[in-house]
Parts: sequence; structure tokens; C-alpha cells
Amino acid sequence: MRKIILLLLFPLLAFSQVNLPSVPGTNPFQNYSIRSFENKAKVQVPNTTNTSFGSVQQQKSNQQLIQEVEKRVLDDQKIKQEIHQDIATSNASFNYSLSSFSFLPATQYYYEAFDRLIQIDTTNFSIKDTNFLVENAFYENKEDKAAFDENIKKSGEFLVAKMKELGYNLNSNSAKNYMLFQFFSETLQLKSNGLKHLPFAYDFEDYQGINDWSKMFVTKLLATRTGQCHSMPLLYLILAEEINAEAYLALSPNHSYIRFPDDNGKWHNIELTNGMFSTTSSILNSGYIKSEALSNKIYMQNLSKKELLSQFYVDLAMGYIRKFGYDEFCAKVIEKALVLYPNSITANMVKSNIDTHRFEYVMFNLKINPRDKSQLQNIQYYPKAIELLKEVNNQYDTIDNLGYEHMPEDAYLQWLQSMHDEKNKQDSEKLAKQFKGTLIKPLKN
Amino acid sequence: MPKPFIYLLLLFNIFLATAQKQDKLFEESYDLLHSMIDNDNNYNFKKAVFSVENAYLEHKLDTTYINNQIKLLSVLCNSLIENRFLAYVENDKEKVNKWASVYQVMCDTIPFNINDKLYKYEPFGYDFTDVFGHSKRENLFVSKLLETHKGNCRSLPYLYKILCEELGTDAHLALAPNHIYIKHQNKKNGWYNTELTSGIFPIDAWIMASGFVHLDAITNGVYMKALNNKETIALLLIDLADNYNAKFPNNDGTFVLKCCEIAIANYPHFANALILKAETIKKQIKAETDNDKANKMFADLENQYKFIHKIGYRNMPEEMYLNWLVSLKTERNKFENSALKR
Repeated sequence: MRKIILLLLFPLLAFSQVNLPSVPGTNPFQNYSIRSFENKAKVQVPNTTNTSFGSVQQQKSNQQLIQEVEKRVLDDQKIKQEIHQDIATSNASFNYSLSSFSFLPATQYYYEAFDRLIQIDTTNFSIKDTNFLVENAFYENKEDKAAFDENIKKSGEFLVAKMKELGYNLNSNSAKNYMLFQFFSETLQLKSNGLKHLPFAYDFEDYQGINDWSKMFVTKLLATRTGQCHSMPLLYLILAEEINAEAYLALSPNHSYIRFPDDNGKWHNIELTNGMFSTTSSILNSGYIKSEALSNKIYMQNLSKKELLSQFYVDLAMGYIRKFGYDEFCAKVIEKALVLYPNSITANMVKSNIDTHRFEYVMFNLKINPRDKSQLQNIQYYPKAIELLKEVNNQYDTIDNLGYEHMPEDAYLQWLQSMHDEKNKQDSEKLAKQFKGTLIKPLKN
Repeated sequence: MPKPFIYLLLLFNIFLATAQKQDKLFEESYDLLHSMIDNDNNYNFKKAVFSVENAYLEHKLDTTYINNQIKLLSVLCNSLIENRFLAYVENDKEKVNKWASVYQVMCDTIPFNINDKLYKYEPFGYDFTDVFGHSKRENLFVSKLLETHKGNCRSLPYLYKILCEELGTDAHLALAPNHIYIKHQNKKNGWYNTELTSGIFPIDAWIMASGFVHLDAITNGVYMKALNNKETIALLLIDLADNYNAKFPNNDGTFVLKCCEIAIANYPHFANALILKAETIKKQIKAETDNDKANKMFADLENQYKFIHKIGYRNMPEEMYLNWLVSLKTERNKFENSALKR
């Protein structure tokens, strides 16, 4: 970049000093510059227009002149740089980071939640408690933990009672997960006390939580019995934890779902948004999963406890961003998320957004419009700004290399609908049937 | 000694000599490929491809004709680059422009004008007869493609890659069950696929949802991985070994195993190499007279098959292959990359 600028400055300098009779040719030095200096008599050079000096001398003086011009260019550049540096230093407090929202009292709840998240054992933690911690920060600690716990406990008891009633094997992971699957998709009633449970439904309205972030929450799902692809799998995991079932969260483009192993070690996918067992190909048919995404394990893999915790950090950062905006606190949270799960696509996406916001914020303060190429050249006077730009570009590359492809909203909804089509329904029923046979506890052992 | 017998002996000797000479051609090709793997500076895909074909064709490949044809095609590519407009603005435009020109030369009819006479350049097409080279190995060859302008999923991407490298850019081969296609990475779209048998840019789901690709096979790079230089040469080593088997059906497997070993060393999850190795050993077990040794080899073989299964390989029946290949055209809407539609 510097080279280009130097080249641009050359003709400019020459033009400003002389009134050229015509447009310069390919080699402006030999003719124009020499004459110009001679006329101005500023530079001490022999009169080169005299032909008797001979070509050797002419070359020599040309050399001298070129050096002179170069020196001037460098000087000029130095001055420019100094000016820019003056701008930077005159504002001594110039900040290359995003300004903090800490002046808002409500941010305190997030800072506290983060401090508590760091102390969590990365391999062994309660999904229920951690999720509550993250959601409660958004609600400014106004949620009732005891009531939430009670709700989960009752649901767990309901599940176990129903399993007993149906004669399911209480030690079977297949049976536990099938019960959970039914809990989400069917109306259930206990014969013993008549307690009735209705299935959860998908909430299409603002399913990305753009207007109301709490649409993503488990607390919202429990309160309204409607949720989406974020809250439903999380509640599933919380209940699985409650009844000691083995199940994992898995990601796909804009989406998350449940995977669990049956008693024979075979893996199954549960799609909670429509209450179906989904086949691998129906997930792949979204069309936005690249092979690189699979080989980098960003999609369709069981998230380990550590990776799940990383997701909670991302949730915390996203909630903060939606509530307040981008600042260095969310950068800190995401950094932590990436330590736990370096290939996390969600964490990398949020990092990319933070980096972009930071760069644009700094550009705004430096009064440079980054979308104007000639203005963007000025960032060469601010090494730190160059660093920031590099960071943004690196982060974009990281995401590309992970195999991420953006899935537009309508493509996502279309895919979600397609999961509901006849063929997938049949596949799901077939899979469900296969299970049922294996769930009943053997009468005699 | 009676005269006829001497003639017979002489004839036999000549026969042996040619067999040996041919064997030597395969060895030479093997050495060349090996040197390309050992030292990346020696890497030359064009040279490698034609050395493999030439070994099978008993050194009868018309290399002057081949080189002229390839030169002609790259000239055509270059004139396309200069004369047509490409609506692509990212800073890797130069590369993308080259790829696009090779794609056009492979798949499009191009009108051009010489001395005010309009000519039509005919692109390369797909040959549905003998897709797997069962009746004639030559049907898989790039030299055959150049001659007839008809090829299949091996010769078409090979030629595409050769042309890209002639233009000074890269192109990655990638594998799918019974299939080879091209992968590129650009700034605008990230990784994308180029399918030369139908001239469409399919999305990954086309291969993933074919039903013959286990998820583990993708995760492990058995399929859909953009192959690097070493892995590409590993591919050619297995071509060479397959050709050798076709030429000398009753060989003892030494040469084939030698090819497999190097291919596997450089591309550990290369399914075709692993399978060829296992099948060659199976043949050797049948010929083995020592029972103990055969039993030991058999136990080893079982482990090899287990490994092949574990990395996600599943057999795709050949008759299914063509149905799948055609699905790209019949279900174009579903599988075409809308961002790259022209």
C-alpha cells in the first residue's frame, strides 16, 4: 500500500512545482523535472540544458535530482505522518477499544454472572443452574430460582412416574430419552393423580429474538409452553440431567437439536421444534452444510460439557449485546468461550461482529470512512488501526475456513417446514416404532 | 534341436522381453510419481497423468499431439480471459477468471471468428458408455478425452486440473463414492464445487444426501476433501496399480501393494487405496500354501476391513452411481448452488 502511495505522490509533486507545457510522458524525470529545478533555481544544480556537458554528466545530475525528489517525497510524507500523529496524540485519551457500557447499572448483573461462570468446573456443572444464571442476568436477577427449580423437579418426577406407568425400563437410556421425546411432543396424563401435561409448540413469532431476546429463554418456554430451536433443546438437556439421561446438544446452520445414544450404542437425532426423529440426510438437506464444516466439526457433533459451557458464554455475550450493545466486556466473554471451544462457530461469529464493530468505531473516531478506498489509505498512519483491520480480516478468514456458509432466514424456515414433509414424517414414525419395542422393561430378569 | 522348436523358443523370448519391458514402464511411472511425492518441486500433474497412461499404452502415447492439444486449449482459455467480461469484484478476481475460462472451455460451446469466418468450438461431453472402464481402461484416460472430446468423471476433472495448472493457478480434486469432482475456494463463496460431468455447480448436500456417504467419511476426509498435491499423486498411484492389474491379471501383487503403501502413507484415509490393498492381500492369501501364514494374514485382513468401515466408507453399487449422477440434472433446483448460477 505504501508503495502505491509513493507512486501517486511523485507526479503530484512534480506538477505542483512546475507548469508543464504538456502531459508528461512515460519518463517524467529526464525532461520535465530537470527543467523545473533549473528554472526555480532552488536546487543547486548545473545547467543541464547546455548540451556541451555531455551525457555522462547529465546522467549524474539526473541521479542527483532523483534523489532530491525522493527526499522531498519522504519529507512530505513525514510531515503528513506527523500531522496525523498530532491528531492522534492531541487526543491523548484516544482509544482503540470500544467504549464501555458499565455506566449503565444493569450491566452489573452481567459482570457478576460472568464472574460466576469463570468459577464453574468445565467438565462437571449443572446445565440447569448455568442456564438460569445466564437468563437471570438478562432479567437483572429478578427471576425466582427456587420456583424454577421446583418446576424442573416436578417435571422430572412426572417423567419418572409416567415411565413407571408405561412400564418403561427405568435404567434404559433409550426409554428415558423416548419419554423425554414424548414429553415434548405429546399430551400426557398420569393415571394416578390425573396430572396432565401438554406438548410444547414452536413459536414462529420473532424466533430469532430480534425484538425480544427473552424469546430464546427456557424460562419463556416454561411460562408460555412455546419455544424455538434454542430454548427447546436446552430444556430437554435440563430435564435429561434431572432424570439422569444421556443426551447432547448438536448444532446445524442457525439451529440446534438433540442427539442421544440408544441402549445398543446407535445414535439418534431428535428435532424438538416439530417433535420428530430426524434422519441425518434431512439435516444435511438444509443445503448449507459444507464438507469443511463437518471435517472441522462445527456442525452435527455432540457438544461435550466443555463445549456446551462455551455455548453458555456465547449466550451471555449475545444477551449483553442485545440489551446494551458491543463493548470490550463481550469481547472478554467470547475470548473465554473460544478457549473452551476454539472451533465454535457461534463464538467465532460473535467475535467477528465485535471485531468489525471495534474497527468501525475507531474509524469513526479517526474520521476515516473505511468504505472509501482513498480514505482507508490514511490508516497507514495509525499502526494500531492497521492491526485492528488485520484482526477483522483474519476473523473473516477463520470463519470461511471453518466451512461456514450463511443461511438466509427464508431458506431456514423453508428447511424447517421441509422437515415436516411426508417422507420425513414416515422416517420419523419408523424410527419411533423401532424404539417402542425396546422400551418395556422385561417382565422377568 | 529341430528348427521349429528354436523358433518357438525365440518367439517365447521375445514375448518375455516385451512383458518385461512393459513392466519396466510401470516401474518408471511409479518412480516418477514417487519422486513427486518426495519432493514437491517435482510435482507436475500433467506429467504424472500421462506417464500413468503411457505405461498402460505401452509407450505408444502421442505426446506431441497431446501437448499441442493442451497448448491449444490453454490459448483458448487465455483469449477468453482477455476478451470476455466477468462480473466478479473480489481481490482474487485473477484466479477466479482463470477458473471460469477453463470451465467455459470444458463445458461451453464457444463461437469464434477467424478471418471473418465464424467457427464453433465444441466443448467436452460426458460418455455414458463404460463409465468405470471395465471393457477398456482407455475409456478413463485423458488422452482418449482429448481425442474424442468425450470423457467421464475421471478424465474430465483431470483435464480441468491440468488446464488450470497450465494457466498457473490451482484446482483441487475431491472424491465422492465412485466419483471425482473439482473444488475451489474463492473470497466470495468460500469453498464451492464444480461438477464437470454435467456442467453444474452443485452444493455439498448433493453428495452428502446421496445416501452413500456416511457422515464419518466426510469428517475423516475419505470424501469431499479438497486434495493437496501429495494426495492427488496418491490418487494417480492407485490408477497406476489398477492399470497394472488390468494389464497383468495374474500378477503376484507386489507392484500393486507397493503403490498402495505409498498412496496410503500420504493419504491415510484414501478408501480406494485401502480397499485395493485389502483385495490384493486377499488374492495373496488364496495363493498362500502355508496355512499358518495364511491364517495370520487373514486376521490382519479383517482388521483392515474394520478400519475401512470405521472411517466411514460404504460401498455404493455401480448401478446406483449413474442414477445419482443424473439426479443433479433432474433435481437441479435442489442441488444447484444458487450463488454461482450463471
